[in-house]
Amino acid sequence: MTRSAPRASRDAPHVLIVGGGGTGGALAHDLTLRGVRITLVERGEFTSGTTGRHHGLLHSGARYAVSDRESAIECIEENAILRSICPGSFEENDGLFVAITDEDMDYYDDFVEGCKACGIPIEELAPQEALRMEPLLNPGLKAAVRVPDATMDAMRMPLRFFATAKHRGATLYNFMEVLDLVIDGGAVTGATVRDLVTGSEGDLHADLVVNATGPWSEKIARMAGVDVPISPSPGVMLALRGRLCNMVINRMHRSGDGDIVVPQRGLSVVGTSSWTVEDPDELDVPEDHVARMREEGSKLIPAIAQAVSRAAWSAARPLIGAKDADSGRELSRTFKTIDHVEDGVEGFVTITGGKATTLRGMAELCGDVICRKLGIDRPCSTRSVTTLPHTAFYAETERRLA
Amino acid sequence: MSGQELPGTERRDDQGPVLRKGVGIPTSGWFDPRGRALGGFAFAVNRVTGLGLVAYLYLHLAVLSMLLRGGSAWSGFLRLATSWLFLSLDVLLIFGILYHGLNGIRVALVGSGIVADRQKALWWALGVIGTLALAFSAIHIYGSR
Amino acid sequence: MSAADPLPTTRRFRVYRYKRGDPGWRFDPFEVPVGPRTTVLDALRWIQLHRDRTLALRHSCFHASCGTCGMQVNGREALACVTLADPLGSTITVEPLANIPVLTDLVVDMGQVFARFPDEIGTVRMSEKPSRASPPDGIDTYERFEDCIECGLCLSACPVSATSDAYVGPAALAAAQRLLEEPRGVDPERILDWAGDPAGAWRCHVAFECTEACPSNVRPAERIMALRGALAAGRRTVATVTPG
Repeated sequence: MTRSAPRASRDAPHVLIVGGGGTGGALAHDLTLRGVRITLVERGEFTSGTTGRHHGLLHSGARYAVSDRESAIECIEENAILRSICPGSFEENDGLFVAITDEDMDYYDDFVEGCKACGIPIEELAPQEALRMEPLLNPGLKAAVRVPDATMDAMRMPLRFFATAKHRGATLYNFMEVLDLVIDGGAVTGATVRDLVTGSEGDLHADLVVNATGPWSEKIARMAGVDVPISPSPGVMLALRGRLCNMVINRMHRSGDGDIVVPQRGLSVVGTSSWTVEDPDELDVPEDHVARMREEGSKLIPAIAQAVSRAAWSAARPLIGAKDADSGRELSRTFKTIDHVEDGVEGFVTITGGKATTLRGMAELCGDVICRKLGIDRPCSTRSVTTLPHTAFYAETERRLA
Repeated sequence: MSGQELPGTERRDDQGPVLRKGVGIPTSGWFDPRGRALGGFAFAVNRVTGLGLVAYLYLHLAVLSMLLRGGSAWSGFLRLATSWLFLSLDVLLIFGILYHGLNGIRVALVGSGIVADRQKALWWALGVIGTLALAFSAIHIYGSR
Repeated sequence: MSAADPLPTTRRFRVYRYKRGDPGWRFDPFEVPVGPRTTVLDALRWIQLHRDRTLALRHSCFHASCGTCGMQVNGREALACVTLADPLGSTITVEPLANIPVLTDLVVDMGQVFARFPDEIGTVRMSEKPSRASPPDGIDTYERFEDCIECGLCLSACPVSATSDAYVGPAALAAAQRLLEEPRGVDPERILDWAGDPAGAWRCHVAFECTEACPSNVRPAERIMALRGALAAGRRTVATVTPG
């Protein structure tokens, strides 16, 4: 990695990041490289909220190529960057979009055109070619398109950003819960926290506090008396024993439940559904959603119907938009950085929305906003800095930086 | 670290407790039978029989040393040695020798990588041989009375 | 109420509690509603949300892929996310993993686990299935993540690790064997040197508890045995090997 990036000096601005998911980790990495002093607090283990629970897809962007080109372009750009800065954190097996029904075929031309328009490299395949690559696919498939999807490790890939930030001097606390924000003269100046490891409580002070708590960001924002338009939107995923495919298998249609199978180690993960809830802590796993995952998934890979279940779980996406949308699918998946000075509160920024594939890009844009506020004139360098392996996160010394 | 540290969190670097399995005695974790599978039992019994055989070696030397004290002491010992209880201890000794020896063969075969994935089958196969040998020995020992 | 009624029953959880700086540890009892699908992790999260916010535990993926929620449930190593509470009896005892220092409550210090691994630890491997698949152009062989999820269950279950911290333990040795099976540029001689240390492969006593405990099909014991086979074939003597 680049060794020229300076360490934060003692009098550099100090930013407190609340939330230890992929977004918080990537932001800590981004800002430490720009010379900002960082303290990050997470109430549980790092990536324990939404990040670690996602199905582990590194998006090619093809899923959004028709309906949301902005997202699709973001995805394919970040896809290439992440592969280069996180080597070894992906099962680089590409993905297939598979058309099963005549309705799926109606979507085919739009899909191919959308991918081309967004710069997503694709390869159109005859059914026999697709079956040669993936023998367990539905033999009745009508067409397939190869895209640069990949499987990521939903915890270990983001952990690389934490590892790199930590070895560059960021202070990262897991098991540190924010009880309240410290507000002084209309500005957020820190947070009152409780250390769940030692039982200590106290205030952490900062020049700026960033709310990077994903679907929990409304709860944290309320502590500053401001509102953020976030809907916690859970989805159900089903992990089955057995690796039924090597490539990521997507249904070629606009969007729907159970339309993706992500192979991961010795498991096959089928996802996902979508609804909205009030409290991201209270997620249930509706039985009918689990059954739908199996039913829809078996249309892509028939063996899914008989596969043995390993786990079924829910994860809450942080979707931006009106709270009264009921399914969550109409809401935008792009991310948003909110400077709460618009709400009359200084020193407080919320970054939310987005997805694991775009965590670095989110951090870059949010980092730009934060640096502008703090008067720091140093560009983002995360595109070219190779992150440390996840194992470095647990290493006490900095020997792996050499 | 360049960020801010919360007072008190330095205790995170203290040495925390380490949970150990066991039966209340330090370093007895290897013996704890709770939650053990076949291989774990096989290992624990192997170690117990090993310790038993070492104890027996010293007992054996002590018994032989009786010969130094003359014939009457030895005759007294022989009367004791033909009691039901003593013969049962002999059977237990044979069990210890058979188990430790046969399991030793199993551990050697598995542990040298020759049949690395057949530990359970080997245990049962050698267990059958051992049980037959033990039954044969027991009939002879009790029949000697 | 009919017999088929899915209403939850109440179970008593005895949860290990310890905060750094406490003079000792204790068990806290909690009555938790449990349904047929409730996992031990669900139950512990329910305790966090409804009974005691200060309870600390690790979790991330919820499907046995990240390896963070390893703990002892009724004295047996388990990933809480895939362990159903219903069949576990009326009282369920939850403790942190053994043989690894406790950070707090159910959280152990994973730095002590990672410190045991060889430096070259791999993350991806060749995919073995399905064998008749032929990968697309540009991909020589399908690749996938290693099975080991670095959860520490094997270290907790190992009866040798229960009595000696010097032994590097099953996960690290299994990772070394994986490097021999698929070196990916790593020097096998260096790995054999590392594994041939007296605290390495020869320290194992063949109890196979690691393979019983492993939730991710690594079969560490079989791998340690294979490692010994490789060491023996190389006619190495443990005495000449420097610590790894």
